[in-house]
Amino acid sequence: VKGRRRAIAAASVLLLGALLAAGWLEAEAQDAPSASLKPAAAPGHGNPAAARPIKERMAVYVILAWVWLSIAVLLGFLRLRVREADRVHRMGLFRAGDGSPQEPGH
Amino acid sequence: VKALRSWIEDRLGLRPVAAYMGKKEVPRHGHTFLYYTGSSILLFLGIQIVTGVLLAFYYRPTLAEANASVIRIITEMPVGWLVRSVHSWSATFMIITVFAHMLGIAFTKSYRKPREATWLTGVLLLGATLAFGFTGYLLPWDELSLAATKVGTNLPRALPIIGALTTKVLRAGDDVTGDTLSRFFIVHVSVLPLALLAILGIHVFLVQRHGMSLPLEAERGKVKLPAIPFWPNFVFREAGVWLVLLGVLLTVAIFLAPGVGPQADLMAPAPEGIKPEWYFLFMFQTLKLFPARILGLNGEIIAVLVMMAGMAAVLFLPFIDNRPSDRRGRIITGLLWAGVAYAVGMSIWSLL
Repeated sequence: VKGRRRAIAAASVLLLGALLAAGWLEAEAQDAPSASLKPAAAPGHGNPAAARPIKERMAVYVILAWVWLSIAVLLGFLRLRVREADRVHRMGLFRAGDGSPQEPGH
Repeated sequence: VKALRSWIEDRLGLRPVAAYMGKKEVPRHGHTFLYYTGSSILLFLGIQIVTGVLLAFYYRPTLAEANASVIRIITEMPVGWLVRSVHSWSATFMIITVFAHMLGIAFTKSYRKPREATWLTGVLLLGATLAFGFTGYLLPWDELSLAATKVGTNLPRALPIIGALTTKVLRAGDDVTGDTLSRFFIVHVSVLPLALLAILGIHVFLVQRHGMSLPLEAERGKVKLPAIPFWPNFVFREAGVWLVLLGVLLTVAIFLAPGVGPQADLMAPAPEGIKPEWYFLFMFQTLKLFPARILGLNGEIIAVLVMMAGMAAVLFLPFIDNRPSDRRGRIITGLLWAGVAYAVGMSIWSLL
């Protein structure tokens, strides 16, 4: 339990750090509008074109951090729901006396 | 809410489906994780459809505009680069999960009676997925995609009688041109999705009809396995897997977004270092290794015939190994390991 708490705390610090860093980078990018675009590679010169606005990229990093934070929260919620569902199922099984499937997939 | 539910029930009659889901159980054992691969394929397919539709709004399948429209998508459209990257990476993830799903089924011998038709539709779905990859590779219309498509569409030409015709049908002519691009686009966005959804419907029906397979020990009746209800116990677990996969996909798509090469020139010589997508590398390397002539016969024809025989063996695996479901099948397991080692080894060799 202690190890799990430590892991959750470390993950939270990591996520918060990522959020702060992404927010800071976005603020930096907003302060420098002249550098808002990476030059697109001209077609026909052998370089793959992969330009994208820096502001947009920063926003995406922020969204990514939020996505992972949401996933962590949702996973925690799902874990509780799974435990609860398994508990209810076990109680049902004890009443029924047999919970094994008689046929595959049924 | 009650009135709305009753209105829907009167028209759709979903009560038997809900009752079936309420009764359905999933066996728990050491290979239960394999059950998640099937639903993960559906997740990636859904992402492919959504991102594919978004890309199709701006993509133009013509010789003059294809490459420029892809560049416009990734440089000008809001988060266009991300949509394309998610589409590209989701395709890769989907193919990985399809391979994992099929290998899991093959190693656990779940294709045996009564699931032969499930396996056949599964192999057809694998073929459709690879066809998606092959047709989609040409759409950016850059130097590499043109060269790789020329090589790929030239392969069937080695076949006697039908070879030249097959290549002509694939290319919409004698060579890869703008007509090939239009044909690949139509096949990619219309023909293949319809075919895939139809086969998928049959596949999912068969999975429900015959149920999830059990490990050999359970099939023998030596072990009685515990089970969990499909709803909500299994679905909640599955939702967790989906969430993690979504996060991984988004992370990879953001940090490893693919670019697009220079516009293809039909008159230009093939660039150096042409390579197909990673899932075709082992076939590509096999073709390179075959000598031009073997015992006086055309080596390319023999290579194509050997590969076709391999594909036929995979397709008809349930009829080759049609023993009772409780037999271990060590020879098949050995052959499968050899096949996996060959594909991985050849792919790595091709990359070196």
